[in-house]
Amino acid sequence: MTMEGFCFRKLDVDGALAEAVDRAGAITRGSFLAGALGVSAAAAVADEAVAQDGKLGKVDQGILNYALTLEYLQAAFYTEAERMKAIKGDVRKAARKLGSVERAHVKAFQDVLGRNAVGRPTFDFQGVTEKPRPFLKTAVAFEDLAVAAYGGQAANLKAASAVAAAVSIYSVEARHAAWMRYLFGLNPAAKAFDQPKTKSQITQIVRSTNFIAAPPKTKRKRAPSFTG
Amino acid sequence: MHESTQGKIQRAGFLRRAALIAGSAAGASLLLGERPTEPAEAQGAAEKRALNLALLVEYTEASFYAEAVRRKKLQGELRAFAEQVSAQEDEHVKFLKGALGSSARSKPAFDFGDATASGDAFANRAAEIEDLAVAAYAGQAANLSKATLEAAATLISVEARHAAWIRSIVGRPPANDPTDAPRSADQVMSDLKRLGLKG
Repeated sequence: MTMEGFCFRKLDVDGALAEAVDRAGAITRGSFLAGALGVSAAAAVADEAVAQDGKLGKVDQGILNYALTLEYLQAAFYTEAERMKAIKGDVRKAARKLGSVERAHVKAFQDVLGRNAVGRPTFDFQGVTEKPRPFLKTAVAFEDLAVAAYGGQAANLKAASAVAAAVSIYSVEARHAAWMRYLFGLNPAAKAFDQPKTKSQITQIVRSTNFIAAPPKTKRKRAPSFTG
Repeated sequence: MHESTQGKIQRAGFLRRAALIAGSAAGASLLLGERPTEPAEAQGAAEKRALNLALLVEYTEASFYAEAVRRKKLQGELRAFAEQVSAQEDEHVKFLKGALGSSARSKPAFDFGDATASGDAFANRAAEIEDLAVAAYAGQAANLSKATLEAAATLISVEARHAAWIRSIVGRPPANDPTDAPRSADQVMSDLKRLGLKG
């Protein structure tokens, strides 16, 4: 078996993607950002790369779970904004598009991680999905944050296929950031180089928003093997 | 939530691209295991090839925008875009030349024809070049060592920002798909020739 087992290929086996996209608004399952970070710290200590059988190594699992948590946050944000129907025109179109893309990212990471995927926290966006300007401002912040997060982690991935996949998502997050900035009237590419942020910087910023209202109620089927 | 047919098509595209990432983004041997992190001879060569390809893309961008700015045919948003992006691509060129040192390839010749002579032509060509830059980096990322990718990541996202920016200006979707499909070195070379590379 090769790394192809990891490479999102299994996504097209059962067409489960559409199903999960429908579930994406439920915001009920799983773990939580702090949990994801704890897991990845433990995995880093273990320093285990890709296992011989071609499964995803623990370092990569930790990083992908961290990315998954950020994707949960974005997906929930756009999905809620779309449902609120308070946003019109070009911004509404963008919110719909970004919602569908972020949900696809969530599903891709969930499928790659399988039972080791962290679950979804409960979010409370505190009204920012109900008005165009607060929505856009938050969208800009989220997308720039995602760029800084992926930029900080892509090189830490061990598997070549994981690197390639992460970079192909990373650039989409950067497109989103530029798009939201354009709609908000900000410079879409303010600098020649995007500065990455560490996990602890990202976590601190996310916590400071109070958008994560509660950790997930239940684990996804069973606890990941590397937590215990 | 009701899923549109368009949504389904887009998802199917995502799956195909994901498989493509598995198949073509990196060398076949790389896909079988861990990305090399030790500075070995062969890896050094692969990394230099990858960075020189990136440098060629950045030379193309920098030359294109420099010419567009010089010809003064752009106005308003397009002009502001060209001026700012031109300066940023110059910085990317400098960055890659610094990373490659004496292994850096020299700047080739370009012929952008009428693509810098009018706003519409400029915008179309700029969008193509920026999308190609994103795809080229996606295709080469796995050929880079950890430290090099860490550094290169800081400009990969800026290429994607440029792509979304020019697409926003001309009213095209800034981000159509869940992933940016990588292009191989050969594909990138043939695209560059189509877009103005002569040397």
